[in-house]
Amino acid sequence: MKRILMVVLVVLVAAVALTACQRSKPVLHVYTWADYVKPELITRFEQENNCKVVIDTFESNEAMYAKLKAGATGYDVLFPSSYMVRLMFDQGMLMALNHNLLPNLKNVDPEYLKIAMDKEMHHSAPYMLTTSGIGYLGSKVENVEASWSVFERVDLKGRMTMLNDMRETLGAALKSLGFSLNTRDERELAAARDVLIRWKKNLAKFENEQYKTGLASGEFLLVHGYSGDIFQAQEENEDIVFVVPKEGTSISCDDMVIPKDAPQVELAHKFINFIHDPEVAAENTEFIQYLCPNSASYRFLSEEILNNPGIFLADEIRSKCEVIEDLGADNAKYTKVWDEVKAAD
Amino acid sequence: MKHSRLPLITTIFVLVFFYLPIVVLVINSFNASRFGGTWEGFSFKWYIRLFHQREIWHALRNTLIIAVGATSVSAVIGTTAAFALHRYTSRLQRIHYTLIYTPLVVPEILMGMSLLLAFVAIGVKLGLFTIFLAHVTFCISYVAMVVLARLQDFDFSVIEAAQDLGANWWETAVKVLLPLLAPGIAAGALLAFTLSVDDFVISFFVAGPGSTTLPIRIYSMIKHGSPPLINALSSILLVVTFAAVWLSQRLTEEKK
Repeated sequence: MKRILMVVLVVLVAAVALTACQRSKPVLHVYTWADYVKPELITRFEQENNCKVVIDTFESNEAMYAKLKAGATGYDVLFPSSYMVRLMFDQGMLMALNHNLLPNLKNVDPEYLKIAMDKEMHHSAPYMLTTSGIGYLGSKVENVEASWSVFERVDLKGRMTMLNDMRETLGAALKSLGFSLNTRDERELAAARDVLIRWKKNLAKFENEQYKTGLASGEFLLVHGYSGDIFQAQEENEDIVFVVPKEGTSISCDDMVIPKDAPQVELAHKFINFIHDPEVAAENTEFIQYLCPNSASYRFLSEEILNNPGIFLADEIRSKCEVIEDLGADNAKYTKVWDEVKAAD
Repeated sequence: MKHSRLPLITTIFVLVFFYLPIVVLVINSFNASRFGGTWEGFSFKWYIRLFHQREIWHALRNTLIIAVGATSVSAVIGTTAAFALHRYTSRLQRIHYTLIYTPLVVPEILMGMSLLLAFVAIGVKLGLFTIFLAHVTFCISYVAMVVLARLQDFDFSVIEAAQDLGANWWETAVKVLLPLLAPGIAAGALLAFTLSVDDFVISFFVAGPGSTTLPIRIYSMIKHGSPPLINALSSILLVVTFAAVWLSQRLTEEKK
């Protein structure tokens, strides 16, 4: 027993000593999603700025928000999704970005900024874009048209899924009709509902997680899902193809922001600026397989990424894509229609 | 009369129920497939990748520091609390009992949130220390309950005998009481250690920058990252745990 205690004590003391000697350099605290920055780039940033980067991770925007709202401090850079950035800014939790310290923001893709929520990058800089679209098994499903109308296909009945997400799935139906996926018009929503009820007859289910495995194993032939998820499934099953429907789809973006009480404001700016260095952005895009909207980085991207219509959207599709916005009180209209879809046979 | 087969069947069923998921996890940690739905061949790639993930090792280190610290402190406080509860029965002790008992039934999310608010209000910097404090608060209750159960069938005439034979207060405590209570304290401490290593909800709220623990890391990786790494890590932890249990059994056997 004594021996064990001794060992434990020695380990503890060693650990504390280790922590203590790392304190001499400035430390940047980044709060983000797991595996969301290429590790080699973090090391490079540390060497270039003679600092240490500590990464903490969260698993949902809401959990991160709840924690910071309750008063947790000490983080320098956060990576929330755009809709959460809006909320946090409205609550006065974010700092305005100092553009003098961020020369690389001139590289940010102006085409993306047109649809972004924070168009002037006043308090946020975009980090990675993802889209939702259609994944299918190339050898089992023939002549798939890159269109939402694929869910009309009776020959795939019972082998297709759509996301169990009100805004995404109603958004797909709205887009198929040529409407905005942020519409507040009840007639348009009613039309989308009818389309969705028709599609529902052909679906196996509305599904958010299992569809990745289901597609990889061939249980489902065609799914509506997020690009990142479907690329992961692609590693497993090379037969999987991802397309973005020609009518447009939803784009979501995770942004980089600095909380109001950040201890290392200057270093945080340096980090955001570093991420938007064209070569760094390209390296990160290759690693994450989402797109960092940085125009100057596009020429460093591999053919594979540039020719991937799921990552690098064609201009004519991109112009039809939208970011899902928070509609406030009008959200209730979506909930009502969505309930009707769920209840329909 | 024939022996009933029921106990045997029940045992097998319980063992399968407990250990099958673990076996599946260990097998999947060698599966080249990312989702683990199909067997894509034997591979060490998740183990190799695991060794390049410095954040995971950092999280593991945090978890162990907190668990060891919280266990030792709560073992001491919990044992003394149990002793006081057992020895004295006043109205104050009944309140004491309720206070010790409450953390066992309060929902974790409530505890996490209220601890966070408390830490923010008194201006403690969030980090390893706050997680440690939070873990001590709930570990004390578990240790106290386990030790209390042990004290209930404790023969106090042994103590009196020791005092009759001239042992002073300190000698009685160290040479008689503690050795007899040791299994109870050890059981309570082990329970506390497991709970501390496991805890996600409370830790998430009271964690500060740089103090991500293993459960927090694992949870965020499931949502966004590579789950197979978790299988590999869990398998390594299993091996370490089994080794520790085996070692501690060997050590106790030697003494006898």
